[in-house]
Amino acid sequence: MNDAIKMQISAFVDGELPQNEAELLLRRLCQDRDLRQQAAEYLAMGRVMRGERTVAGMSMLRERISAVLDDKSLQVEFEAVKADRPRYLRPIAGIAIAATVAIAALLGLQRMSDMPDVDPLSASETVAVTAEGSYTVPEQDDDQLRDYFLRHSATSAYFGVNSINARLVTLQLREDVVVDTESAALQPDENGDKPDSTDAAEAQTP
Amino acid sequence: MSLRRHLTVTTCVAIAGLIASDRVVIAQEAAPHDWLNRMASAVQSTNYEGTVIRLQNGKVEALKVAHAVSDGVVREKVIIQEGNGLEIIRHGNEVHCILPDKQSVLVEEWDDQSTLFSTLPSSDVRFGSEYDVSVVREERVAGRKAVLLAIRPHDGYRYGHRIWLDIETGFPLQTKLIGDDGEAIEQIKFADITFDQEILASALASSINTDNFRWFTQPRRSIVAAVDSRWSNDNLPAGFRLVSNTEEELPDRDMPVTHILFSDGLANVSVFIEPADLIDISRRSRVGSSHSYSIETGGFQVTAVGEVPAATVEQIASSMQYK
Repeated sequence: MNDAIKMQISAFVDGELPQNEAELLLRRLCQDRDLRQQAAEYLAMGRVMRGERTVAGMSMLRERISAVLDDKSLQVEFEAVKADRPRYLRPIAGIAIAATVAIAALLGLQRMSDMPDVDPLSASETVAVTAEGSYTVPEQDDDQLRDYFLRHSATSAYFGVNSINARLVTLQLREDVVVDTESAALQPDENGDKPDSTDAAEAQTP
Repeated sequence: MSLRRHLTVTTCVAIAGLIASDRVVIAQEAAPHDWLNRMASAVQSTNYEGTVIRLQNGKVEALKVAHAVSDGVVREKVIIQEGNGLEIIRHGNEVHCILPDKQSVLVEEWDDQSTLFSTLPSSDVRFGSEYDVSVVREERVAGRKAVLLAIRPHDGYRYGHRIWLDIETGFPLQTKLIGDDGEAIEQIKFADITFDQEILASALASSINTDNFRWFTQPRRSIVAAVDSRWSNDNLPAGFRLVSNTEEELPDRDMPVTHILFSDGLANVSVFIEPADLIDISRRSRVGSSHSYSIETGGFQVTAVGEVPAATVEQIASSMQYK
């Protein structure tokens, strides 16, 4: 499944795909069983990465395909495999769950956590993930930089210096705290508050 | 109150005062590096539970922490009280990062022995001569007597540190990272702490039912090899020296990345080098108190990253040379 199809599917479930393109997409999905399976896996992985229990617009997509094909087996197809997989420590190929507590995966999860809320889950709407499925975190300009920060933190820990602050900073590392300082001077903080001055207090010491 | 009783009480108060003043003198007369060694020992061996306040970028965050060592095995638990309620459970080298809002558990191994408050190396040999270390005064932190140590850098290429050590145990009750303008960049402070011989297992176990959570694990970190790199730097900030030189595999790279670590004994800076056409990153950035600077030279992208001021990563990255 190429990126264009993925974008169309994402736009469709977000209700943003133009009518004519939506009809073309539906036609392709109706004609191609493998593509339907791939679409289900793709949407499911996005759901997992967002920490959602279901996918917004998913039921609509399934219903419209079912209506076209009049085929209830689609229900099964989109539910795919789920509970029959071992739950423990599933490595997911392609996810950059790199050094210092799988930060990259954490970032992936958090990066997508701003997606709109979804409808409550019903059992029939569950989309599952195949164990063989792989997912690559979308390319971001800052991915390499993030890798560097994480690898640096892990190496510092190896050499015996890794404060709780360093760990928490990497744990909570989010895209939005990587501040490009090329054009803007460092800001003390977002509230405009200045941190307290230790040296000023020490000046009182004889 | 009888005269005898009055004299007894007065005598006891006087003796207590003398003992207290002696402790102050002892605390302030002990060599700073002795305190650092005590701290290093305390963070490795002390069992404790408490509430930590973390200040950074004007944000305040509370953490519940518990730490125990048994038969050389470290167990730790950290719960972030705000936001997503992130919970970190460490048992030996295995670490579970539990994200309740994502219904996910991220698992990885920490192969280092540093603990939550392993802030500094203990040896003055590693410390180098780029800092002055001094005992400043005695204060109270978390209701306990503490001695304040100041680690002041000689120049603007590294941060300073202030550490409040518990006089009784040597444990760091409060730490501050200080910028070259004398302002605190970030700090960690115990609001309350108890030192217990034995921490209950329940205090170290996850408080979240993860039965229906998804579990993720990470590929093991892969270092291809320690190498004799053809990269050198003749213009490092004073005190920085080469610590390690490796080729490492990073996600989504076909080729290993050269990773060179420089350190002044306290501050570390990593330099990553890749072919320039493979990456595209911001020239300058920061995360927390860490900065990065990236520059293209000879067809390579050279990026320096570290918990140091921006000027330090800029100088180190800019002065890397291919031999």
